[in-house]
Amino acid sequence: MAHQKAQGRLVSWDFGDFAVAAAQNGRLMAMAFGDGSIRLFDSETPDAAPTVVSAHKGACLALAADIEKGGFLSGGDDGKFLKIAAVGTVETLWEGKGKWVEHVTAHDGAGVRVFSVGKVATILNKKGEMRELTHASTVGGLAINLKGKRLAVSHYNGVSLWWLASAAAASVLEWRGSHLQPLWSADGDYLITAMQESALHGWRLSDGEHMRMTGYPSKVRNIAFTRRGHHLATTGSDSVICWPFSGSGPMGKAPVEFGTVGEGIFVSYVAANPKLDIVAAGYEDGSVLVGQPGSANTIGIIDASGSPISCMAWNPDGDRLLIGNEAGAVHFADFRG
Amino acid sequence: MADVHQIPVTVLTGYLGAGKTTLLNRVLTENHGKKYAVIVNEFGEIGIDNDLVVGADEEVFEMNNGCICCTVRGDLIRIIAGLLKRRDKFDAILVETTGLADPAPVAQTFFTDEDVRRKTKLDSIVTVVDAKHVEQRLADSGEAKEQIAFADVILINKTDLVDAETLRNVEARVRGLNPFATIYHTARADIDLDKILDRGAFDLARILEHDPCFLHGHAFDPTHDHGHDHGHDHGHDHAHEHHDHAHDHGHDHGHDHHHDAVNPVHDAEIRSISLLAETPLNEQKFDTWINDVLRTKGQDLLRAKGILNMAGKDDRFVFQAVHMVSEGNYTGAWPSKDKRKSRLVFIGRKIDPKVEAELKAGFEACVA
Repeated sequence: MAHQKAQGRLVSWDFGDFAVAAAQNGRLMAMAFGDGSIRLFDSETPDAAPTVVSAHKGACLALAADIEKGGFLSGGDDGKFLKIAAVGTVETLWEGKGKWVEHVTAHDGAGVRVFSVGKVATILNKKGEMRELTHASTVGGLAINLKGKRLAVSHYNGVSLWWLASAAAASVLEWRGSHLQPLWSADGDYLITAMQESALHGWRLSDGEHMRMTGYPSKVRNIAFTRRGHHLATTGSDSVICWPFSGSGPMGKAPVEFGTVGEGIFVSYVAANPKLDIVAAGYEDGSVLVGQPGSANTIGIIDASGSPISCMAWNPDGDRLLIGNEAGAVHFADFRG
Repeated sequence: MADVHQIPVTVLTGYLGAGKTTLLNRVLTENHGKKYAVIVNEFGEIGIDNDLVVGADEEVFEMNNGCICCTVRGDLIRIIAGLLKRRDKFDAILVETTGLADPAPVAQTFFTDEDVRRKTKLDSIVTVVDAKHVEQRLADSGEAKEQIAFADVILINKTDLVDAETLRNVEARVRGLNPFATIYHTARADIDLDKILDRGAFDLARILEHDPCFLHGHAFDPTHDHGHDHGHDHGHDHAHEHHDHAHDHGHDHGHDHHHDAVNPVHDAEIRSISLLAETPLNEQKFDTWINDVLRTKGQDLLRAKGILNMAGKDDRFVFQAVHMVSEGNYTGAWPSKDKRKSRLVFIGRKIDPKVEAELKAGFEACVA
């Protein structure tokens, strides 16, 4: 396997707090930290120090792009659901004392913001109207499909699918076990969840057909579809396991893989590039590489630091990558010419 | 992977009204120089506004298609993952469970979830028992028995509300369910917190030094087999009579006032055994054997703990299991050469003489 060295520049900081999540909203990118701060990065000037926003009193738990340009949404263990505007101002959209806001998402086309606290996912529309969706167990993750029509809420023993624009009851996709991160395929035909046990589960929505994706030696912490949804890239092993979703669909196909930094050093985060069929993979030892499903060629981005990579995000052009680890080391890789 | 500091976790169990909240309030208010993150099941009971007190939902999740031994607390996984992201660090975690809770899923969470396991370590399970009402609880609730059987430390609380004879009976009953736990007598949960929090391998060290005779040692002797076949109360009473003073276990009970060691009153359902090997063990053989034991009998085995002397290794191998899930690590050198021997204990159901003989033979076959 050939590890090439990356072309381009790498800007690095040490912020000292757990990097919880990263997101992009156009030119602006954001990273949320365990001290409650959110840092805003201008991807046009990767060298510039990020703007620090004091957001939550405790730890940030979730981060997503807002429906407003350049803005972000965050949830924290101080019970707040916040809107961070592009200029860095903070607005509290919801607050619950003693609660944790664990998951947040939004869809600009649909004009909705969604957050979850315990068993309840709440949809906030632009008028400020709230709709509370209660589930039988704690919400494990939220995902709105690309078209902005449906909200998937994962929980114990399955996923509830809600229509954003209709008050109809949820249709429930059932499968035993605890379902965490939900993810829609780009065409909206499949819904996949990473589970508490070392496995993924998927449903073909047209007929409810199940897909089990197993064989992982470790818990699958996050999953991502590559551009146009050809592959589902996953953590949970010491290489990036990629399930093919192109052509006739994923049923019955074996996964391909790429990217190993050492035996038993598991992939801890994957981020799919929005422009090319490549995936950035972060590892438990702190190293990051970029590779392609099924290809032996990888490009090393950063070397091992000892602390697991905990979040990454590409900019919309796919030529800059924001990377954070559990110890608070942050890198901005710039691959432009 | 770089070594990660593992934060010790204490699990606090006990029936409603036994004194858990009193103990929690003490942990939160006393000046013991340590910062605890406390995961409670009822916010209201803790009269303290503290950032590090988190409410839990007691969501018990089955994993691996419903295997009962793979049930975990999903809320604990989320809460601990969240707590570990914080800047304001803490030294240890205390998890309170409701009185009705089966302690197994809580304990199993710390062995099963990788993120939790990597960053935290189950230090001990502390069970608070109400001296006045424990007999009643044991009579009407399986959970009360399990909470005692699971414990590393047992506080027999509210001792000021019972007379000496009742207390002796309570202790005998508790000992019968769990001969390995350290027992303290308290009134109003008044105890030196060092004795229950962040105890390290203290319990395991005790197991090793435990007089096997105090356990069911005589059951290893084939001539005594019959005494244990039928799990009836009287058969046991008398079988233990002659052991009475052979071992003064006053050192086990850390309470301040002196009292006589009690004869354990054995439970018809939950029993325990202690196995000893003087010859070093072969790690591979032990691994194969214990995995087989846990796979086939894990459902009935509540806890297994041991300190093992592996051939060719300088360090002690410390092992513990909850039902089918287990962990084992080398944890530092033996205190002195002459103490190098292996001891393994099991607490569980259906440990009849046949099972006991099987376990003993299997363990002894693991010698190098």
